[in-house]
Amino acid sequence: MNLYKRRNLTGWAFLLPAALMICWMSFWPMAQSFMLSFQTGTGARMRYAEPLNLNYGRIFNDRVFIQALQNNFYYLLIQVPIMLILALILATMLNNKNLKFRGLFRTAIFLPCATSLVSYSMIFRTLFAFNGFINTALVRVGILDAPYNFLTNAPSARIVIIIALIWRWTGYNMVFYLAGLQNIDGNVYEAAKIDGAGPVRLFTRITVPLLRPIILLTVIMSTNGTLQLFDESFNLTSGGPANGTITMSHYLYNVSFVHSANFGYASAISFVIMSMVAVLALIQMKVGDKR
Amino acid sequence: MKKFIAATLVLALVFALAACDTPATGGDAGDAGSKLTVWCWDPAFNLFAMEEAAKVYKQINPGFELDIVEIGWDDLQTNLITIAMSGQLQALPDIFLVQNNAFQKNVMNYPELFADLTDFSVPYHQFGPSVVAYSTIGGRNFGVPFDNGAAVAAYRLDILEEAGYTLEDFTDITWDTYIEQAKDILAKTGKPLLSGGAGDMDLICILLQSMGASFFDADGNPDIVGNEYISLAFDVYVQLVSNGLMVEVNSWDEYIGTFNNGIVAGVINGCWILGSVQQADDQFGLWGITNLPKFSNVSGATHYSANGGSSWAVASSSSNVDLAVDFLTQTFGGSIEFYENILFAAGALANWLPAGESDVYNEPQPFFRDVPIYALITEFAGLIPSNYTGVYYYEARDAIGNAIVLVLAGADKDEALKDAEDTLRFWMMQ
Repeated sequence: MNLYKRRNLTGWAFLLPAALMICWMSFWPMAQSFMLSFQTGTGARMRYAEPLNLNYGRIFNDRVFIQALQNNFYYLLIQVPIMLILALILATMLNNKNLKFRGLFRTAIFLPCATSLVSYSMIFRTLFAFNGFINTALVRVGILDAPYNFLTNAPSARIVIIIALIWRWTGYNMVFYLAGLQNIDGNVYEAAKIDGAGPVRLFTRITVPLLRPIILLTVIMSTNGTLQLFDESFNLTSGGPANGTITMSHYLYNVSFVHSANFGYASAISFVIMSMVAVLALIQMKVGDKR
Repeated sequence: MKKFIAATLVLALVFALAACDTPATGGDAGDAGSKLTVWCWDPAFNLFAMEEAAKVYKQINPGFELDIVEIGWDDLQTNLITIAMSGQLQALPDIFLVQNNAFQKNVMNYPELFADLTDFSVPYHQFGPSVVAYSTIGGRNFGVPFDNGAAVAAYRLDILEEAGYTLEDFTDITWDTYIEQAKDILAKTGKPLLSGGAGDMDLICILLQSMGASFFDADGNPDIVGNEYISLAFDVYVQLVSNGLMVEVNSWDEYIGTFNNGIVAGVINGCWILGSVQQADDQFGLWGITNLPKFSNVSGATHYSANGGSSWAVASSSSNVDLAVDFLTQTFGGSIEFYENILFAAGALANWLPAGESDVYNEPQPFFRDVPIYALITEFAGLIPSNYTGVYYYEARDAIGNAIVLVLAGADKDEALKDAEDTLRFWMMQ
């Protein structure tokens, strides 16, 4: 055995345990749940559906699923752009070497990411409660005459979820941009400045184009995360009012564990969510990656 | 650096091993001695009651041992589903607690998990008929009723008096009278009489059960469109909310806050809510309880209903079914001493009617102006009409809960109910 082969084998030996574990614990269940998505029934009495695509066929006749789908895209289209633009602006500001207390600001903005999804959802729920902090503050300041029930009205409940999401995830994306900014050579900026470019031009003509791969990464991650949103819907609004804020993953959970368990249908829903994520990621890669 | 990596790896390994070492929570199917395993939730209530039951039973069977595992209902339900799906029945404990509202659904979906208790000597005739009905499927019994969910109406007597009313004025009344008086109290004191979660189905379900009504007909088919009972319950609910007689909140802690902080002057819920009512020390001696308002001119309408509650089930896979049933029968279905023990320490109320005759149950409760409320609630418990929950109870609650939110937002009632029935039928399709 020559040195090259031996090294190669060593590499494979290191990879093997993890690869086997992933296949056994992750890929095999995925394959099983794909089979499950063609079945129907309860408990151990699952049988193949007649016709086989019954579960997939009924998804788009399911009013609650359609509502959940709309909610998810509402969150996606409004929250992701706001969050990413905010993260980009913050990252550019914090990348300024002359800024005092840079470390402090970075930590403060990143810190929300360290909180658990459940606890921050519950804190937001308490903040926006009928007699919660926000209402009390708004009434005291005189902006509102009487407390407004943010969480029992679908439009305002959705906005509360978006605010919560922005608070929780902006810092996370900012860190990616900060890392990306470190890789941009300072000389590029210097040259542009000498040519007379202002801060806005520097941002739009240098920062954004050079960060394109990172922006693409964060867009894909955020899209993926938003389509699989669960904790906020479950804990902050319980999907209400009248399914006005429910997400697809939350509905999936209800179908599996709250309602009389229908795992065949639940698996079908999960594969529909997966294909949506895959298609969106593919489109974004085609549009965004111009290498 | 190498040392650091090595240390990290060792640590990771230790954690991984520790994770593997988590004790299996399943029952000892192989151990046919006199040891039983129980799954239930709420340490201050259900676990405590089980411990007390074990103490009482040890007097009869000295070698008896009980291993109680705390597990929340949501997790317990998930466990039941996964155990049934995988067929790993030996993972079940000997005894587990099931929410009354989910009992029929679990037995119908996963009959293989439950031992049939009909032919054992559980004294079902000594329990209220409605609590036995929750765990009765096709005429067979699958559970021993425990947690009492009898509904009570509790009022702040000081606020009623301020507006010129007494508890008498709220006893044996109709909903029409209730709404009249509630409007008057709101006008005079500024306090609404009720609170509840927005889109939360507790009150609607209490109203329906007080008429013995359900979302389903006797064959389990959805019965929403044209269901006079649901329509009446909606009308009452809408009147309560639109007149400001009921405060809508978004979470459980807010709900508790509405009466603990004196925002509302009354509560209608399962009697277990009194535990939370009594948390407010400054309201000592200010509360009184009575029966619910009833619907006038409806056949089968009563002043009694229920919300929640739970019953014990015995696993079919248990190697000790006889012992498990005997244990439950001798304690939860036969020991006044046991019910006396848990009443004071946990406020746990009996569904087993003979316990209501105990002296302890008849002692006056100073928090409620020296009224013996426990005997009163046990009396209520015997008068509750049964209703059908079935396999799709939670789906129905979900659909109707959405309908009520839409109606409150101004949608047409009949249309909202039609949509709810369509959604429910969709969910029931297999």
